[in-house]
Amino acid sequence: MFPQFKPAGDSALVIIFGDRIDEGINKKVHAVANAIEKTSPDWLIEVVPTYTSIYVYYDPLKLGYQEALDTIKPFLSAEPKEEKPRIVEIPTVYGGEFGPDIEFVAQHNGLTIDDVIEIHSKPLYRVYMLGFTPGFAYLGGMDERIATPRLEKPRLKVPAGSVGIAGKQTGIYPIESPGGWRLIGRTPLRLFTPEKNPPTLLQPGDYVKFVPISEKEFWEIYKREWGEQK
Amino acid sequence: MIELINVPSLTTIQDLGRYGYQKFGIPVSGVMDEVSARLANYLVGNHDNAPLIEFVLKGPTIRFRSSAVFAVAGDVEVKLNGVPIEPWQSHWAKRGDVLEIGTLKSGVYGYVAFAGGILCDKILGSCSTYLRAKLGRALKQGDKLKLGYAILTGKEGKVLPEPLIPRYSNESEIRVILGPQLEHFTEKGIETFLSSTYEVTPNSDRMGYRLEGPEIEHSEKGADIITDAIPLGAIQVPANGKPIIMLADRQTTGGYAKIGVVARVDVPKVAQTRAGGKLRFKAIDVEEAQQLLERREKTLKAVEKLLKNKARVYRIKIEEKKFLAFVERDE
Repeated sequence: MFPQFKPAGDSALVIIFGDRIDEGINKKVHAVANAIEKTSPDWLIEVVPTYTSIYVYYDPLKLGYQEALDTIKPFLSAEPKEEKPRIVEIPTVYGGEFGPDIEFVAQHNGLTIDDVIEIHSKPLYRVYMLGFTPGFAYLGGMDERIATPRLEKPRLKVPAGSVGIAGKQTGIYPIESPGGWRLIGRTPLRLFTPEKNPPTLLQPGDYVKFVPISEKEFWEIYKREWGEQK
Repeated sequence: MIELINVPSLTTIQDLGRYGYQKFGIPVSGVMDEVSARLANYLVGNHDNAPLIEFVLKGPTIRFRSSAVFAVAGDVEVKLNGVPIEPWQSHWAKRGDVLEIGTLKSGVYGYVAFAGGILCDKILGSCSTYLRAKLGRALKQGDKLKLGYAILTGKEGKVLPEPLIPRYSNESEIRVILGPQLEHFTEKGIETFLSSTYEVTPNSDRMGYRLEGPEIEHSEKGADIITDAIPLGAIQVPANGKPIIMLADRQTTGGYAKIGVVARVDVPKVAQTRAGGKLRFKAIDVEEAQQLLERREKTLKAVEKLLKNKARVYRIKIEEKKFLAFVERDE
């Protein structure tokens, strides 16, 4: 059944390794993505590893879909290396104007707001992938007791640092952007700094721990991270 | 050097995009209409990827602070020192000259290219502006932009042959490669998508075009997927059943099921469709899409050679059908 291969338009193909969010599947994804990337053949534009799949962006003027598949297949045997993970603490204010959807999340799941905060800030979340906007980390390991579907109609503006839930996933918006996640809180940390190398605070394979803070602490850290800019 | 005198909003510097950083979540960005932008660059003797000015609906007014050769791409009135000149041609400007670009008569995005390209401080390998993450910024009145070095002599007076000038329509058929999440749609939903007319809404920008039209029915798998990547031209369908075509500033990944991806040759057509414009979708396979792209690239390369005087173009008629023949010197 897996891996599966499909075209994703005429300049990308996708390799699918599974149909659920799973640490083992994701480790395999990153191992194969790294192996393909390392050879950097001239037809390869870039590789984007996700939870369960790899998007291979290629130049169709250099090779066609079928040929690209044949070239990639030998890399599928790449296996993940074992490394000690990094744990990154994310100070977060929950609820209020910082997390306008926390009440909906609580109601939807028959919980109190305090339950949601307790359940959300307890686990160590794995960074499965980055994407969506610069520095956005897709985190795995959220307790299904607080799972909530996305908004039917995405918001046009979500502030930087917002912490949200979408289905069984949780994450942090690094920059102001449109988005359909249910917002439960906000961190003052800067997750994307283009002048830095690497430009993102979180890297795939990291582990994240949310730490509840007060509004006062939020603004103290905010000033340190962002200066006076809003 | 050039100085911007009058700058409509959302005027930016772009090149062909910021590649290699999508895995950090950094969008590709770059020009919305790759063909018009590349033609503008070819007209002034630049390579494909030279940074240029992209404007939306209305063009800027520019004062030249040194001699330059420039070209404007777009269906637009252009004046140099108050005298009308043609777009899709390269022109010489001397120090003090003022270039005024009017409002596009059709299409959404126009370009101004300068011989040597615009010099910029590259961010993560590219001059493309991505406003949402403050990678670069929108141009504003008083900005002074340095131009790259170029031999100007002989670069002016290049003319794009009339049949090669892109025509922007407000009613297009857009070819798509179906998938990669076709199983998230019912047969009826796919049929709706391929047989209906969709209208571009005003809620559309460099990130994506939101369409209005008949709702596309999801299968029992629903609108949400395990988040994966979003290629250029991907057509996402959220739970409300209304498609969104993802364009240059699209997020790198997303969680809505994708019913198809626009063939790259048709992405400029989408980008140049105004709010209220109508799109219909036609499914083609990946091989056909790649052949169409190959053919387009052959034409663009021929145009590049033509404008460098390395080829000639002839209009010929065979049995009442008109053709353009590019003839290359045998060297």
